[in-house]
Amino acid sequence: MKIAIWGDELAAWVAAACLARQGNQVMMVREAADDHLIPDESSIRHEPGLMQTLQQQQTSGNLLAVTAAQAQSTGIHWLAMSPGSLDMAERQVTQLAQHSQQLLIINQSNFGLGASDRLSERLDPSRPQALAYIPDTLQQGTALVQFSSPASLIIGCEDQQALLTLRTLLKPFTEQIKQMLYMTAREAEFTKFAINGMLALRLGFINELANLADQVDVDIELVRQGMGSDDRIGQHYLNPGCGFGGQHFTQYIESLAALMSDKRRSTLLETVLSENEKQKELPFRKLWQHYRFDLRQRIITLWGVAFKPGITSIDNAPALRIIDALLAQGALIRLHDPEALHEIKLRYGDHPQLTYYQDPYAALDNSDALLLITEWSSYASPDYQQIKDRMATPLIIDGRNLWEPEYLRQQGFIYHGVGRR
Amino acid sequence: MNKEQAWQQLADHARVIKPLHLRELLADPDRFQELSLNQGPLLLDLSKQRITPDTLPLLQQLAESCHLQARIEALFKGEPVNTSEQRPALHTALRAPATEQLLVEGEDIIPSIQLTLSKMEHLVRQIHSGQWRGFSGEPIDTIVNVGVGGSDLGPMMACKALDEYQPTTAQRLNFFFVSSMDGSQLSEVLTQCNPATTLFILASKSFTTIDTLANAITARQWLQEASQITAKEFMRLHFIAVTACAGKALEWGIPNENQLHFAEWVGGRYSLWSAIGLPVALKIGMQGFRRMLSGAHEMDLHFRHAPFMRNLPALLGLVEVWNINLLGIHAHAILPYDGRLSHLPSYLEQLEMESNGKSVTQTGDPVQHRTCPILWGEVGPNAQHAFYQLLHQGTEAVMCDFIAPARRYDDQRSSLKQQHRLSLANCLAQSRTLALGDAVLPQPAAEAHRRYKGNQPSSTLLLDELTPESFGALIALYEHKVYCQAVIWNINPFDQWGVELGKVMATELLDALEQRSPGQFDVATEGLLDTIRQYNREKGL
Repeated sequence: MKIAIWGDELAAWVAAACLARQGNQVMMVREAADDHLIPDESSIRHEPGLMQTLQQQQTSGNLLAVTAAQAQSTGIHWLAMSPGSLDMAERQVTQLAQHSQQLLIINQSNFGLGASDRLSERLDPSRPQALAYIPDTLQQGTALVQFSSPASLIIGCEDQQALLTLRTLLKPFTEQIKQMLYMTAREAEFTKFAINGMLALRLGFINELANLADQVDVDIELVRQGMGSDDRIGQHYLNPGCGFGGQHFTQYIESLAALMSDKRRSTLLETVLSENEKQKELPFRKLWQHYRFDLRQRIITLWGVAFKPGITSIDNAPALRIIDALLAQGALIRLHDPEALHEIKLRYGDHPQLTYYQDPYAALDNSDALLLITEWSSYASPDYQQIKDRMATPLIIDGRNLWEPEYLRQQGFIYHGVGRR
Repeated sequence: MNKEQAWQQLADHARVIKPLHLRELLADPDRFQELSLNQGPLLLDLSKQRITPDTLPLLQQLAESCHLQARIEALFKGEPVNTSEQRPALHTALRAPATEQLLVEGEDIIPSIQLTLSKMEHLVRQIHSGQWRGFSGEPIDTIVNVGVGGSDLGPMMACKALDEYQPTTAQRLNFFFVSSMDGSQLSEVLTQCNPATTLFILASKSFTTIDTLANAITARQWLQEASQITAKEFMRLHFIAVTACAGKALEWGIPNENQLHFAEWVGGRYSLWSAIGLPVALKIGMQGFRRMLSGAHEMDLHFRHAPFMRNLPALLGLVEVWNINLLGIHAHAILPYDGRLSHLPSYLEQLEMESNGKSVTQTGDPVQHRTCPILWGEVGPNAQHAFYQLLHQGTEAVMCDFIAPARRYDDQRSSLKQQHRLSLANCLAQSRTLALGDAVLPQPAAEAHRRYKGNQPSSTLLLDELTPESFGALIALYEHKVYCQAVIWNINPFDQWGVELGKVMATELLDALEQRSPGQFDVATEGLLDTIRQYNREKGL
């Protein structure tokens, strides 16, 4: 089959790779037809197996870059666009509806509740045109496998003809599937909402527990493992840390929180969000208390400013709140990040209290504290001796519980984790 | 013309006017035109006062015979108008533009005022950006102002009045005002506060005010218990002093960088415009605070330069002198028809009664005229269900101030606009009924208990809308009115010796209550002391 894919999300690239691999003619819609087929975000480029598959499929001719106009040559369109681009999607669907007779729009973008209905309204009801919504539930690291052999699939679509086409397209991936759930697009969107909300609640809860553990002398790591061993709970989304960031996830939770507040006067998710904002400052608070409420002229090193490893984005990143707090307190800040240094420079520019470092160890010379904010894998096993030798005070505040407290203390560090003993 | 002649002419005129009912006076179609005047966002309507247009020149003569113009200049120029304490009263300088210059004893005082404003600005910015941190490292989100009298009433009134001018980008702050000596407010407030995120503003000009310090000690203990850190540490994080006595505040433990200062020449009840206004600046932002100052400054310019016949504070003051000294009215009700101004009556109670509740002249002689009336008030529509009965049918002559904004709820739902119209309708109806009595009715009731005699005079102050500027102008108007009356009565409005003796007595009685010294009091006090001791003994205390 011939499919056009719109968007630069992980879901777009994974769909492109997997669909092409099954012999489909896949057209990635780009600015220009000769664009390289390379994802913008490094975290997507690092997705295991993805770049290799994309390369193979391009070589075999199953995958190619096309312009928006060229994409009109097919009647099947897969949208995996960023959450903020609903308006753009509406314009594109309007164009496609005008230029096509038969049309199937498969929407996998996280636009929120009611977005699929809005897109459907752009279709021409006098022609065989329809929309299906498939929630994006891919997880980084195992996305290709999840797409190729999903354990279950939620499909929001009520048009029988569209469903037939969709089932045919997905047949190679669903031979082993345990569960195919059919519902309206709105219900599927709500399901996606509910999943994200639940994940945010879990993160909020484990952070809350970790903060409590700090006060009652309990190691959250053991508690977390204990909780995870109960199969009603499981291991996912139970890592405490200094808050979640990012544009999409936060926006998504914000819009769900707003909906719950508006319709239900419920503050549950609003609380999760506001507590998360507080959690972002946790490393600052630990530092503040350690240095007896005075950080003037203290040299503070931050490792990691991206909101999560594998990306250059600093949207809503915990590092921003920590940097702002340290600036206000008159500290001297040194920043290192493997990929996001450019972004953070754009935000703060030349600032007398800020220095940007390419070398993480150089950033530690004479430092009064090291704050680990983003758990890049390159930080996972550092040269501890060198860290300690370079620092003025071997104080480590580990915002992601990346390191082993006992080992670090043995090495002579003062170590604070999130709920770690 | 000398003072005696001016008073005499007024007395002669009063004999003519007194028999006239407001009903008759209001029959003159030009009356509103002749007796109401505008200044900036304010309209003062004196047409429901028991005067005629002929009264005003006579009052002007009185003002001139008391050298009011020269006294106004003396006030603005920083002459020692507070004679008993030999210092100026320069609240007007607090709202003067930065570009002005004002020499007091050879020193320009404007730079230090501006310096305090910029220190305030820095502090407000820190707190609004969520970067003033408490002992846990969390941002401060609650402000507790501890002060009494001028250090309480002004900021509390302004914060309530201007609530809707909170900047939307600032950290949301909760505000509490604590004044009462017995700790009943504070103990209730503390249950609602998180010690880690609470900042106390200790506002005391002398930093010896026992009411404020008693509350401050309780606050200090509360923080000590919650934070488990040293006093030196939590003082820096959780206390700000606003005072004229830096040394005393430092002695109490507030470091200098946490202090905002104002000069000795700022009277407590005139201190809203100084650093005492910090809670206001925290509420409405520094920009909003400066708007309030500029509104007051506009009124200052008007008071200083406008001829008396078009001068709002002067005319309001003179017409009240007429009421008090020529018509014999010694009660004054303050009636805002706007819930946001609910603290205005108690603010004016202090401003007027503490300023002009005096009975000796500047030269130490007994006054020859009665001075400040009894002042009280309440939000108008609520007072209608309380003491308006007395205004309409009691035996006391009372003058009233009706205060209302013409516009409100511009961008809000129609039912709220309707509520505002309802309130305005009541405001106009009440002042009309008080003036005219049941003559407003085509057929007044026959029974005596249903009759309304009317003839109660009132002023109406109409604000365009309640903004920081119009609010500043309104308060400055009252300040200057009070000064104008003090000049006519030749009393000092800037001291308050009448509150001192009670403080001394209280110290002796505290000793007696704590049984440190037996003390020899009057029989009534001894009787009460005995009873209190006996109750305590019964409880085994």
